[in-house]
Amino acid sequence: MSRLEAKKPSLCKTEPLTSERVRSTLSVLKGIIASCYGPSGRLKQLHNGLGGCVCTTSQSSALLRNLSVTHPILKVLTSSVQNHVCCFSDCGLFTAILCCNLIENIQRIGLTPTTAIKLNKYLLGLSISYLKSEACSCRIPVDFRSTHTFLNLVHSILTSKPACMLTRKEIDHIGALILKAFLLTIPESAEERMVLGKSIIVPLKGQQVTDSTVLPGLLIEASEVQLRRLLPTQKSSTLRVALFCASLSGDFSNAGEGTLVVHYQVSLENAVLEQLLNLGRQLVSDHVDLVLCQKVIHPSLKQFLSEHQIIAIDRVGVTLMEPLSKVTGATPIGSLYPIVSTTYGSVKDVRSARFGSKYFFHLLPNEATICSLLLCSRNDTAWEELKLTCQTAMHVLQLTIKEPWVLLGGGCVETHLAAYIRHKVHNEAEAIVRDDGCSQAELHIATEAFCSALESAAVSLEHDGGEILIDMKYGHFWSCPADSASVGNWPDTLSRCGCGLYNSQEELSWSVLRSTYHPFAPQTCLPQAASGSVSNLTVDSFTAKLSGLQVAVETANLILDLSYVIEDKN
Amino acid sequence: MEMDYRVLNRRRHVGLQQLSSFAQTGRSFLGPVKATKFITDAECHESVLVGSTVRLLEGLDLTCAVGHLLNEAVQAQNVTYKTGASTLLFLVGAWSRAVEDCLHLGVPTTVIVSVMSEGLNSCIEAVVSLQVPIHNVFDHIDNTSTVYKLETVDVSLCPFLQVPSGSGLLEEKHDFKDATSQLLSTYSLSGRRAKSPEFFKPQAKVETENTSQALKNNLYTDSFCRKSALTHSRHFNRTENSHWISRPDGFLEHLRSTPKVLRCNDLGELAVGLSHGDHSSMTLAKAAVRLQWQAVCLQPANCMAPFMFDISRLLTCCLPGLPETFSCVCLGYVTSVTMPSITLIKELQDQPFRVILIEGDLTESYRHLGFNKSVNIRTKSDSGQLSEDSTEELWTNRVLEVLIQFNVNLILVQGSVSEHLTEKCMHSKRLVIGSVNGRVLQAFAEATRAVPVAYVTQVNEDCVGNGVSVTFWTGPHDINRSNREILLTAEGINLITAVLTSPASAQMEMKEDRFWSCVNRLCHALKEEKVFLGGGAVEFLCLSHLQILAEQSLNKGNHACLGWLPDSSSWMASSLSVYRPTVLKCLAGGWHEFLSAIMCNTATYPSAVEASTFIQHHVQSAADSGSPSSYILSEYSELSSGLFHSDISNNLELVPRVYDTVTPKIEAWRRALDLVLLVLQTDSEIITGLVHTQMNSQELDGVLFL
Repeated sequence: MSRLEAKKPSLCKTEPLTSERVRSTLSVLKGIIASCYGPSGRLKQLHNGLGGCVCTTSQSSALLRNLSVTHPILKVLTSSVQNHVCCFSDCGLFTAILCCNLIENIQRIGLTPTTAIKLNKYLLGLSISYLKSEACSCRIPVDFRSTHTFLNLVHSILTSKPACMLTRKEIDHIGALILKAFLLTIPESAEERMVLGKSIIVPLKGQQVTDSTVLPGLLIEASEVQLRRLLPTQKSSTLRVALFCASLSGDFSNAGEGTLVVHYQVSLENAVLEQLLNLGRQLVSDHVDLVLCQKVIHPSLKQFLSEHQIIAIDRVGVTLMEPLSKVTGATPIGSLYPIVSTTYGSVKDVRSARFGSKYFFHLLPNEATICSLLLCSRNDTAWEELKLTCQTAMHVLQLTIKEPWVLLGGGCVETHLAAYIRHKVHNEAEAIVRDDGCSQAELHIATEAFCSALESAAVSLEHDGGEILIDMKYGHFWSCPADSASVGNWPDTLSRCGCGLYNSQEELSWSVLRSTYHPFAPQTCLPQAASGSVSNLTVDSFTAKLSGLQVAVETANLILDLSYVIEDKN
Repeated sequence: MEMDYRVLNRRRHVGLQQLSSFAQTGRSFLGPVKATKFITDAECHESVLVGSTVRLLEGLDLTCAVGHLLNEAVQAQNVTYKTGASTLLFLVGAWSRAVEDCLHLGVPTTVIVSVMSEGLNSCIEAVVSLQVPIHNVFDHIDNTSTVYKLETVDVSLCPFLQVPSGSGLLEEKHDFKDATSQLLSTYSLSGRRAKSPEFFKPQAKVETENTSQALKNNLYTDSFCRKSALTHSRHFNRTENSHWISRPDGFLEHLRSTPKVLRCNDLGELAVGLSHGDHSSMTLAKAAVRLQWQAVCLQPANCMAPFMFDISRLLTCCLPGLPETFSCVCLGYVTSVTMPSITLIKELQDQPFRVILIEGDLTESYRHLGFNKSVNIRTKSDSGQLSEDSTEELWTNRVLEVLIQFNVNLILVQGSVSEHLTEKCMHSKRLVIGSVNGRVLQAFAEATRAVPVAYVTQVNEDCVGNGVSVTFWTGPHDINRSNREILLTAEGINLITAVLTSPASAQMEMKEDRFWSCVNRLCHALKEEKVFLGGGAVEFLCLSHLQILAEQSLNKGNHACLGWLPDSSSWMASSLSVYRPTVLKCLAGGWHEFLSAIMCNTATYPSAVEASTFIQHHVQSAADSGSPSSYILSEYSELSSGLFHSDISNNLELVPRVYDTVTPKIEAWRRALDLVLLVLQTDSEIITGLVHTQMNSQELDGVLFL
């Protein structure tokens, strides 16, 4: 019996942002994200409530991946942040916080969406052009002759992820490893198009973080028994490699439909095995020294190969196939039919290695930009977080090659930028209004909303009730305990600004960030010393932060522009 | 089972409270005297006897997020080190209470995290001074090894074996006394102080064979005999590099004037120190190490390489129902076989076996891993459909053909074995043993040059191993009984089976766990070539160290503590100096609780208050002395006897040293603090995939939906 159900009409809501429910969920989401921000951010336990594994994290990528939001507005927000994280790895929390702040602020001031969007776009353009200009004093050029800036960048990323549970010593160790892995992925000779290699993270849980290491080449996990059978290779020259992606297990799973009836004297298995052995004979006559197989190799074929001094490594797994092909130069072979000799590749050597409780085959390439980062951590939770962090750090390092700058971190860019915009708008309001066609009052309100959104993103770095100050010379970010916020002893309690570039001993004056300060022109040229001498600078990726700023403003604009939500209820 | 349920107050940190209440359950597993627990299932009334933290957590239902993290941390420690889980669990509890106290005092979370982890790092650096290097413990082993010429090592030689584990205080003291006398007889001239005839015999043997043994060793290599032949005399050797001297009446005197260079170069001393109250298991573990050393190093080919104890070549074989004295270690593989095989073995006992090793199952239907069987293929014979029986028959015949062709009479199979084939083999006088551990196969492969294969059809002459001998395992007491255990061994095999026996089968698992824990402790110590001076000394040093640090930062103010970089955030830098002493004291409180819990568990001190006073007194003296570590070294006997057995300390000098493993202990501390700080920094729990209706209104309190 078939039943026909009438379709439900679609549900249409106007002005979704004005609804109380949307506002409250948005503020819950903002609360979750803002409380994760920065080195002293609070962690979140994510689990399914049914005894599944518990993920403890403060990173946007892990958080948003596991967070299931229902409202379309929240979906727009989370998906655009996720897209940003996909492309740039870093600054996801910043993007989300800034976006939420902008939406909240604009709603409060009651500008019409069109005006607000237009002015936001203008202010975004102003920010971007300032950050990209030579005059910008938050931007430090990357000095490729030293590891200084790179290490600062990596350290800043590592310290901002407290769920990794790293001590200072461990941060130094991991930071150095990440940098080393990054350098190993850069090809020695740069041709016209440089292609960066890949570093593969190999898990080794249960060990101390300081046991982590970086090795050139690839590590293939194996059992102890497999490794004990690995004899030292006799050849001094390179080893010839055959790489199979087809299964060599000797089964015939693709027999097709229907039933196959076979005479008892005919053995299909033996027939397939005979084919495999033929393949083995060809490998022998082609002087192959190493056979790698993504799937399983039949034990008899393995025995045959080892009798002919060919090393066979099977069950390599699909994830290693691409790097293997890159390292060896071999083309993966997908069938058992005679092999063309051009598909073979080569490696310099195969060794056995043992780390902790795990055993590995270590493939040393002739010349390739692939390395393995053997990452150790005491337990699963911290390992997952550390892995994500390392991936972020390596990605961010790669981004610096394209745009060789870093931005000051620790909240200083945000406060400085806000001060710059305030000053600029204050001084040039008439000219701006003339071009844009809105009233001066509107411009000032929108600027205030934009700047305070930036500033509250910086304030989100503070989680223990401290007071945030801004200095009146550089416009940098300073924090102090709430109770010692009396003006007199500021030079003593404030030792360094958020990014660590300036210290409180140089005749500065401060203002509490929450209060309105008189617009001033933050000093725009970067001290020469910045790029060299200060060793513990907190810096952010230039590319990621800039994109985060853009994504945040554009997403906020998109959400502000929404006037209907139409839901299909069927 | 006693369990402290604290009321979880929502205004306080729920996660920390959960941690501390979970951790309370493991309190009784701390220290050398462990009380066992029964876990009972309320529904089906089944119960399990647990004697270790790991087993306890396995039996508990820790479904909440924090419980999950706790379990994960304990499991990770256990998988990596097989020891230190109780320390970890207890410190998790103690430190989560300490952190809660800090929160009550208004210390910001960030400061707690920073100061606590720096404080622990500083302690870890400080306790390096209590490390005892282990030197050449195997140099002194070779003369005693003559006793163990037989393949079966008799641990009943040691008089304290019969004390059941987990016994009360009285037996515990007796244990220690015996351990002391054991040390005494080892250090004195042989025979003079030996109490039992059993002990006398091997000692005498040592004397007579000493010289010849030394000569024999000289023939192999001089690596063991670089010193004069007299180094083999334990008596002279001991006086050479330790501060024990022997008086003519056979008693030992401790020389207070000798400089206190701590070192350990005797396996026996190391083992007693690491036994942590479980002497019977440790005696077995020590015997296993000694046996492996013998098996590996007395091989002429291997003796140049430094000996490393390989724990993967040690197996256990549990035999419930036998008295504990039957426990022993044997060179080779001990396993139980079926009754019909026994008659076969009786026939074949004296001849050498030719062996093949099968890595998979030995059945017709077995295919190697990764082989996908097609479902739609049927076999047919001339006379119609072929039955399953006949395919099995065909396969069996083929296997037998191979076995006959290569004259194989022993088949060791990693997986299961077809019963039909076992029967057939029995008829043709071939022994098949299934469910053999892969490590056993590997050991036999190395010793007999057999090559493990997946299928019998792969076998060729190179795959067959020679020279395996099969005998009945008789146990150390040589009692005639209808036993079903056999011992498989081969010339030069590096494989040791520890046969563990226990009259109560409920105790079996616990006994096995304890044995492995002893073996692992010994293994870590040998691998790291260092141990901590144990018995609470390390924790004690941490306590005093933190006290000094706290005082320093009180006196000198902001940047007093050397090596602590001012944090880049100015907020942190100024807050740290304010709160540092408080947080450090709370951290020290964790170790204080640890020590007093051990003292209460061993019943040295009846009340926690008395224990606390004792600790406080010594911490203060240590801090006042200026150098806590040298205070601990000089007062070690008094401290450790105060911690464990204050009443027997008439002769303080004879308190044996207690040792602890280095890395596992430090890692347990780190893991415990990491977990507590991780939970501390967590401010919300996000549960995914929940629907409004799944929660009742009470649970909804404080829950926000997205």
